[in-house]
Amino acid sequence: MALPAQQTTAAPTARTTNAPGGRRVPRDIPRFILLCVLAVLFLAPIYWMVTTALKAETDVISSPTQWFPAHPTLDNFREVLTSPDGNILRWMWNSLFVATVFTVVHVSLCALTAYPLARMRFPGRDLIFWIILGSMMIPWVVTLIPTYLMMLKFNWINSFHALIWPGIAGAFGVFMLRQFFLGLPKELEEAARLDGANSFQVLWKIILPLSIPALVTLAVFSFMGSWNNFIWPLYVVTDIDKLTLPVGVTTFSQRYVTEYGKLMASTAIASIPVLVAYLFAQRYLIAGLSTTGMKE
Amino acid sequence: MTPSTHTSAPHVRKRGGNTVEPYLYLLPFAIFFALFVIYPVGYGFFVSLHRWDLLADTRPFVGFEYYKNLFTPGTPQAEFFWNSMKNTVFFTAVSVPLLVFTSLGLALLLYRPIIGRAFFRAVFFLPGILTVSVMGILWRWMFDNQIGMVNAARTEIFGLQPLAFLSVEGLAWVPIIIGTVWWTIGFNMTLYLAALGNISQSYYEAAELDGASAWAKFRFITWPLLAPITLFVVVTTALASFQLFGQSLVITAGGPNRSTQSTIQYITEEAFTNNQFSSASAMAFMFGLVMLIFTFLQFRIMARDARGEN
Repeated sequence: MALPAQQTTAAPTARTTNAPGGRRVPRDIPRFILLCVLAVLFLAPIYWMVTTALKAETDVISSPTQWFPAHPTLDNFREVLTSPDGNILRWMWNSLFVATVFTVVHVSLCALTAYPLARMRFPGRDLIFWIILGSMMIPWVVTLIPTYLMMLKFNWINSFHALIWPGIAGAFGVFMLRQFFLGLPKELEEAARLDGANSFQVLWKIILPLSIPALVTLAVFSFMGSWNNFIWPLYVVTDIDKLTLPVGVTTFSQRYVTEYGKLMASTAIASIPVLVAYLFAQRYLIAGLSTTGMKE
Repeated sequence: MTPSTHTSAPHVRKRGGNTVEPYLYLLPFAIFFALFVIYPVGYGFFVSLHRWDLLADTRPFVGFEYYKNLFTPGTPQAEFFWNSMKNTVFFTAVSVPLLVFTSLGLALLLYRPIIGRAFFRAVFFLPGILTVSVMGILWRWMFDNQIGMVNAARTEIFGLQPLAFLSVEGLAWVPIIIGTVWWTIGFNMTLYLAALGNISQSYYEAAELDGASAWAKFRFITWPLLAPITLFVVVTTALASFQLFGQSLVITAGGPNRSTQSTIQYITEEAFTNNQFSSASAMAFMFGLVMLIFTFLQFRIMARDARGEN
């Protein structure tokens, strides 16, 4: 329930790609054409989504197929945004709220936990670390049903508590931050100690500021994991007002089962926040994925 | 914003472990960890050994009855559970090699400089940021039996008959697998790009002096040097594929005739639709046991990393 496995693939090694060799023009042309063809294929579903969303329903089903919308209209978007039962902006807000709270608490919790594991000596330290790391081996499907039954008992069904707390003690973040903290220089910490700083001041004023790349990477992973979570909110939230965006969109797909224009408008709207975030964070996201900030 | 759980005790000289300080830092995590990680595992096993009816007053102990059901031919649990396992294994077996080789191929196409390289990287990475439900709805629409883009292209461009992808057994896997490749290829491609960038050019220069062909260079330099990252990609991809859920739920709803129903989908159906929490728990443990193998491999790879820096 923390990060979906598809998104937690973290590279163990590697730096940024360096560019070897000079540019060999004649050889490059077929490669360029191949890449263009692949790019067109990759973008085709996005194109089909946007153009369908811009078509009136009669144009969606018209034959021959309208490869370009002949009479583009924003009616589908208007209808989806003002739909009385189920409000896509409400779901977006819910997702944003849940993912933000989750990320802030999760990253704080992981930093507090990774700090003594990386920078202090105490009995049981290695055992505690290996227990936390070992918990990553527990397949989440094993805890799905008991956690659901716990939510029933806590009366947390249809509450954001169910979306935020069960995944908060994720071992991956502790592991990642511990690895990063291990690599920080000892000297600064010792100097601060001599000046009378206590351990919390060391964490707050020295360790955390030096760890911003790792903290941001973990925050991005946590936010994406929470934002994209699908299976868990699907079952612990049934109130239409409390749904998160990924689940909310599927209720549209049940309602607009034959109205693809509206369905595609809703998926397009649902994609806008991540697209915007991606455009801003693209360079960082790709670099973070290939280095995970684990080795510097 | 870090919650200050630490009461600044007078600093004790750090020799060995004569301070409670580290444990105070660990306490908040430990509470959540015990409640939501350790306890549910035991609780789930307990539920699987009892007849857990939400409405009944008593929950009698039945031992391994629900596990035995899974191995008793004729029970719906046995039939649908193993059917879903077969589907899941099929999906994993097809999608893992496909995802590994296509992402490696893309990375090979992109790691040398070329006009628009950043643009291409962004395009191939882009689908991965969509949520699984949006991706699923999109591919269901692409493969819609009557008016999807795929059938429109088949009939109007290539002059072929339309195919009812979503309602024919076997064919229904096509949108699920293509959608999954499209959705996840960018992550693996990025890992491969990083790994390719780490290979020293001197190997290739030496090989070129010996007159090695492009294929020989790939076969004897690139591929062996990529072995560690390939292992990592195979294991993480297998782990992800084995947990197939959202794609088949949204694209085909597990149909036609349960032919694309994943194990996790069947477990959730048994729990949340049929209210058979004990039976579903038993299946989750059986399934978890198989997944443990993949997870163990991934764990080994990550632990090797952790030890290296200690």
